[in-house]
Order: sequence, then C-alpha cells, then structure tokens
Amino acid sequence: MASTGKAVRPRVAVAKFASCDGCQLTLLDLEDQLLEIVSRFDVVEFPEATSHHSPGPYDVVFVEGSISAPEHLDQIKALRKQARVLVTIGACATAGGIQALRNWADHDAYRAAVYEHPEWVESLAMATAVSDHVKVDAELRGCPIDGGQLLELLTSVLVGRRPQIREEVVCRECKRKGIVCMVVASGEACMGPVTNSGCNALCPTYGRGCYGCFGPRTGANAKSWSAGLMRSGRPPEEVWRLFAGFTGYAEPFRSVLTELGKAKG
Amino acid sequence: MITNPVASPTAVARQWFLARSDLDALIQALRKAGRTVIGPTVRDGAIVNDEIQSAADLPAGVRDEQSAGQYRLAERADERVFGYTVGPTPWKRFTFPPILPIATAHRSGSFGFEQPKTVAPQLAFLGVRACEIAALGMQDRVFLGSPFTDEDFRARRKAALIVAVQCTTSSSTCFCSSMGTGPEVRTGYDILLTEIDEGFVIQAGSPAGAAIVAHLPTRQPTHAETGAAVDVVEAVRTQIGETLPIAGIDQRLKRQLDNPRWGVVAERCVECGNCTMSCPTCFCTSVTERSDMEGRISVTERLWDSCFDINFAKVAGGDFRARPRDRYRQWLTHKFSSWMDQFGSFGCVGCGRCITWCPVRIDVREELQAIAPVIQPIERPVAVEPVAASPGSYSIARLASVREETGDTTTLSLTDLDPAFLSGRPGQFVMVALPAFPAVPISISRFRANGIDLTIRAVGATSTALANLHPGAKVGLRGPLGTFWPIEDAYGRHAMVVAGGVGLAPLRGLVEALVANRDRFESVSLYYGSRTPEDQLFSDDLVAWSASKAIDVAVTVDRAGPEWKGRVGVVTTLFDMMSCDCSKITAFVVGPERMMQASVQSLISKGVPTERINVSLERHMECGIGLCGHCQTGPYFVCKDGPVFRLSELGDLYAREGI
Repeated sequence: MASTGKAVRPRVAVAKFASCDGCQLTLLDLEDQLLEIVSRFDVVEFPEATSHHSPGPYDVVFVEGSISAPEHLDQIKALRKQARVLVTIGACATAGGIQALRNWADHDAYRAAVYEHPEWVESLAMATAVSDHVKVDAELRGCPIDGGQLLELLTSVLVGRRPQIREEVVCRECKRKGIVCMVVASGEACMGPVTNSGCNALCPTYGRGCYGCFGPRTGANAKSWSAGLMRSGRPPEEVWRLFAGFTGYAEPFRSVLTELGKAKG
Repeated sequence: MITNPVASPTAVARQWFLARSDLDALIQALRKAGRTVIGPTVRDGAIVNDEIQSAADLPAGVRDEQSAGQYRLAERADERVFGYTVGPTPWKRFTFPPILPIATAHRSGSFGFEQPKTVAPQLAFLGVRACEIAALGMQDRVFLGSPFTDEDFRARRKAALIVAVQCTTSSSTCFCSSMGTGPEVRTGYDILLTEIDEGFVIQAGSPAGAAIVAHLPTRQPTHAETGAAVDVVEAVRTQIGETLPIAGIDQRLKRQLDNPRWGVVAERCVECGNCTMSCPTCFCTSVTERSDMEGRISVTERLWDSCFDINFAKVAGGDFRARPRDRYRQWLTHKFSSWMDQFGSFGCVGCGRCITWCPVRIDVREELQAIAPVIQPIERPVAVEPVAASPGSYSIARLASVREETGDTTTLSLTDLDPAFLSGRPGQFVMVALPAFPAVPISISRFRANGIDLTIRAVGATSTALANLHPGAKVGLRGPLGTFWPIEDAYGRHAMVVAGGVGLAPLRGLVEALVANRDRFESVSLYYGSRTPEDQLFSDDLVAWSASKAIDVAVTVDRAGPEWKGRVGVVTTLFDMMSCDCSKITAFVVGPERMMQASVQSLISKGVPTERINVSLERHMECGIGLCGHCQTGPYFVCKDGPVFRLSELGDLYAREGI
C-alpha cells in the first residue's frame, strides 16, 4: 500500500477508554516525524490533539484504555465495525492496566472508599483488555508505549509488511546494551525475565528493575520466576505486587497472582 | 584457525618484571600505539570490560564472589589489579558486536543493497583469561573456519591486541580445567601478565606485543618472581579441580535426547537467554529491518539473539522447537555435543558465566551430570567354568524334593551334583535333560548349600516330564551357563527388582543375594506382578521378605476375586510409589515380554539410566553355548552373551519387532 499522494492517505483514528492518555501523547511526542506522519496519514479522530470529530470507517484505529465502564462494552464493538485495522496501545488496552487490580478486589468497597457518591459512578466490576471483547489486529505494549514501535507500526502499514516488533524478554535488550544484570549482581527485583521487550530496557538502563509494563512475553515462565523471586527471600506479598503492577491481568501473570493470592491468604 | 598472532616458542622464553606502580605505563603505551584499551573496571556492582583511560580505572583491591545466580564484589586484602575471575562482559562484545548494521537497501531512484565496510577500531583487550582466549578461538572456527566467513568479525579480531592475564584466583563457577581451556594461558596472546605480590611477570607472544613491552620500565625478574608466577597458576589449577567429567560427554548426550530431566530443567528455566548472551562463544543472531515510512531506504541490523527465543526455530507452518525443553536441549546439546561435530571442539570453555548470570540458578554442570552421567563400566566378574559344556555330555544330579508352586509351576531341588553348579551366580541357567527328551534351558531359582533349585513351568514335553518326577529321580545337567545379574552395579544405589509371573524365578537368587548384602545398597525393593493371586510364585518367601526390614516388597495382580485384599493392576502402576531419585536406581527386570517392555519404558521415563536397567531375555535355546544359532539377537547369542543384558548393550535392538 505504497502511498502515492494525499488522496489515498489512510484514515487514522485514535480512541480511548479507561486510561490516562499517555499512550496517545506518545504519538504527539514523535515530534521529528509528526509532519511526515500527518502528510502520509489522514488523522481524522484524535481527542488528545483535536476536538474535531469524523465518523468512520477508518483504515487504522489506535485504541487506548481498558474496558471499564458499562458503556465501553457497546462502544468498542461499534468501533471495531468501523476499523479495518484495530491496534490496541498500552498496558490498559492490551492487559487491563492498573485498573485491573480491582479484578482481585471488592469493586463496590473500592468505589465506596474512593468516591463520596459511589452511586453516581458507573463502572464494571472488572477492567479488561480490549482483546477480551473484540478481535485485535496488532498491539503495542507498554506504559506508555514506545515511540519507536509506534513509528514502526505506522511504517509497516504504509510499506505493507508485518511490523518488526520482537517477541523477546527484556533481558535480551539489557544484554545487548551491556547492562549488568541487577538481579544477579545486586539482588534487585526485576520483571525482565518474563516481560516482553520493546522499551530498550528503559528501567534497567537507569538502575531500576523492570516493572513489567510491557506485559508477559508469549510463553513467559512466570511460575518459575515467581518462585525464583521468593527463593531470593522475597515474601509472597512483595512478589504479588511485582506481578500485579501494570499488566497483572494478562496471562500467565494472572495465574501467578491467583496462586500467590492463595498463598498470602 | 587463529588469526591473531600467537606465541612462538622463542618469543615466550624471555620474561620481564613490571612493578604494579608502573602498570599505567602499559596502558599509556597501548594508547600511544593508537589503540583504545578495553579492560576491567567496576560499574554497577560488577567488574565489566569497558574503555580504560588509565590504571586508575582498573579494579585494584577488588574481588568477585560468584555462585549460581549470584555475583557480588568484595574488597581484597591486597591491591592486586586482576584479583577477580571473569565478569559479565564476554570479549565477543568487541569482536562480534551485539547490534551491527549489515546492509542498507534503497529503491528510490535506483534499486540496490549495500554492505557497510567495517572500519575496525584498533583495540587492546586488557585482562583476557585463558578461557576467554579459548573462546575467541572457538568463534574463529565458527566465523572464519568455513568457506563462508564473517568479514566484520575478521577485521575486528585482527585489529585487537590481546593482553592476557593468568588467573590467580577462581570462582565456584569456574570449570576451565574440566574443559581443558585453562587456567593457564599458553597461547593466543600478544602480551601475557602474571600478577604476583609486587607486580607482574611479563611475556611477549608476538612482535606487536614485544614492541609494546620494549617501551615499558621493566627489569629482569628474579628467580623468586618467576617461580612465584608459576606457583600462582598451579595453585589456581588445584583450586578449580576437575569437577565435570567431560570425556565422552558429546556421545553421552546423544544417547539422552529423551531424558525426562530436560523437562525438569525447562520448568525452572525462564528462557531469559542470559546464559547465551553472556557466553563468550554463543554466536546466534537475528536480523531486523528498519526503514523510512515508505520503505525507500532500509537498514538491516544484526542482533545478538538466543536459541532460547521462542521464535528462533519458527516457520510459517509451526515451530520446530515449540517446547521450552526442546530449546534447553538445543542449547546444552549444541554446547557439549553437536558443536563438536560442527567445529571440532566443545562450544564451552568453562568460564561459568552461564551459571553465575542465570537468575534461576541453573548450573550446567549439575544438568550435564544428571542428564548424561558417567556410568563407570563395571567389568563383569568371570563366571565359573561350566560343567559338561558340550551338547552331548551331561553331569548327573539327584532330585531331592519337589514343591508345587502354582497350578502349572513346580520347583525341583537338586542335590548330589558337581560343585561347579553351586558356584554359579543368580541369573545363570542350566540345560536340563532326561533320556529321550530334548534338553531345555531352566534358570536357577536358588542356590543352596548342597544343591540348586530349578523352578519349571510345565509348558512342553520336557518341562512336563520334569515336573512329574519324584524325589530320587536323576536328571542330566549342563552349566551353569550364561551371564548373571551384575549385583555390583547396584552398590551404593537403589536396587530395584521388577518381576512378572514366573519371571520371579531367575530373580529369587538375586533377591536373596541383595538381602544378604543389604548394607551395600541404598535401598532394596521388589515389585512383583502376577496374573492372579493363585499365580504368585514363592508365596512363603514373599511373606518372609515383606516381614523383614531389609527389602520393600510391593505386590500386585492383574485380576483377583473378592478375597484378595492387595493391589490390582499391572506392575508399572506400583512404580508411582517410588520416592527416590530415579537416576540412582539400578533395576533388574524379568517377566513376560510385554510386561518387561512396559516396565523398561516406565523406568526410562522416570530417569533410570539405561546402563542401569538389566533385563533377562528368553529366547529359543538348544545348545546353550553359542553354537547352534537359535537364540541370536543382533550381535549377541542370548545363551552365551546373555541372558542378562544391560539395556544400553541392547540399545535399539530391545523390543524391536522381528529381531
């Protein structure tokens, strides 16, 4: 689908559900490429950038946020019908995000604790990933997503190839960068061995263990890693918090959390 | 093929001494020669290899403590600069970069692909250990040893000057001496340093190295100094020891592709690939494309990758190494087996990085020993010379008593026989003859002080005639014949006897020998299955063995009436009760063919080494001494080379149809 001019620019929409808008902002943060992006894509719907609205159908829809409120259920289905390619962006849309922590808790009690008038708040008891509700064509992970991966996805749409997004653990990026493994050298808690790469080992680069915001790598051995973290002296509560962060409701982190939940009672 | 200048015998003869306070002169000489010095320096809690400006960057007075999954720095009591082992940075980082642009392509205006030309930086590697020199050599063979070469690697390798250092300390993860790569640096260096109390004994290994050394404020070393330089390496060699029995591991692994341990270790492995990335010889890569938004210009980059990557062996239709155990096996067998086939050496130098940097603490040495242990071949003791061996000649024995075991099985107690029979061993058999009846092979089911027992199932003319004899009758005997149970194979191990039906007969003598020598074995157990309770042999013995504490007896039957209170099911169902480390079992198995096959299969799947599974084969025998050919099975005559075999001796022949 090589572009030959403005007439065939793919129509792009950005939509959001329960989220902080940080992933949408990643698009705006691509400052050096922004002019080229808008010259090649017709960005018709983008609440973070413009109040202008344009109805579908769209060639590409980027969806941010988790499905958290009753009205989301119909909205996402309607959006899917308007989208030729639907791409979920960020930990909320791809895994449920931090909102999904309520999936292990008493939703009504949480609501009552936070809001003065909980009866005014309409929300679902569970916050879930978009893929739990509609077919998703591609996903960009992270909290927030990586600008380079977003650009690669846009490029792949124009060139007509699969996006070159690697399915590998964060450790791989760490080692290529020459970062000393802090799990081994200082006993730091790190989710790198079970988390998908894409951030270019951002947190380890700054001396922090991985928070797992890109979510589980396909086939991640989360069970062994939770055992490994406990073997190095961490109590189940701490390991629970490590897995629960941003993407805890995505399997296999979810199963580990369910097991740990039993362990900590 | 080593492309780097290597030591020549004349060049190594000369030695110099450089004071520790003058070490910076070496670094500055290298820099003055136009080289960037890459050497050890402390960063992020580890001694990494990185650019060094001066001796002040080196880890003076720092040591490392390494074990599986753990690396910590600590202070040394002295100011030694190289008083650590190997850190997380393999030198391949500088000869085989983790990310390398290998092509650019364009289709705007013209169409084409271009390969960037390597401008290899002139580097000096400071502090290269013996294992690491071996690793560079291994990558030489991979990248430069075939008709297809990696020219980027060649250029970088050629541009690197090697300043090697003798190890003066070791970590618990080191196993270079097992792999034959260290700890002593012998070749492959331009300059070699051995650190002793006050400084360094220096040797040059190439003209380039000698030219650098010539610029240093050195003096002649004293005899004490050169002596100390030799002693310190020898001390490290002793410290490391040879912990991994490596000889033949490549062949041993080839026989263990189905070992269940692959699945066990894969349950722990998180496939982070830290082992392969920190390995100084691993060379797997993947390429990835980056392009402008329209794909007019693209760059192909080569990335360090890992065979633990879940997409590494994937094709459009599926994945050839879909399970974690497949990927773990791929890695370990490549390092220790197929690398040998491809490149003529192991793919491991014993640096121990894969052990230290494994976050789930997998130790390859433990896995290798568990998956492909060295089984010391135990010589079979020589059997007693048989009596009346030739097929026409028999020794006479007298029937002392007859005991009916089951409806169709009878035990004959023979006496007044040649003493050679009493010296036979459990598992051996005799050829038994009556006038006018063809001789039949019968296993010896008990050795008594003054005779032997034969337990006979009346299935043919001779066996029926034998079963109908009365005390006082005479029979002809030849024997004892064949191989016997290698009871010594079970010393210090769990001795496990598995019997089905009349298969208990050739095992009874073994069980009695095991009980008599009980303290030589970790445990002794008997698993016995028969069709019905009525088909059980040696009921009195079973009761007596059960009552003794010497042996665990588990009995089952295929089917039984309501009066049976024991277990029902095939004998393999009893194996689930086993709680010991199955790799420490020595098994002895006899029974009907199908029962033996099922038992053997179950034992293998539980991890019992095939060298430690003994079976006794039943075949058509007439002569009993390997002359008539009836019992031939592959290369063996079962009567002479068997009937007892280690399963590993039979290999693929065992249970193969039509052999």
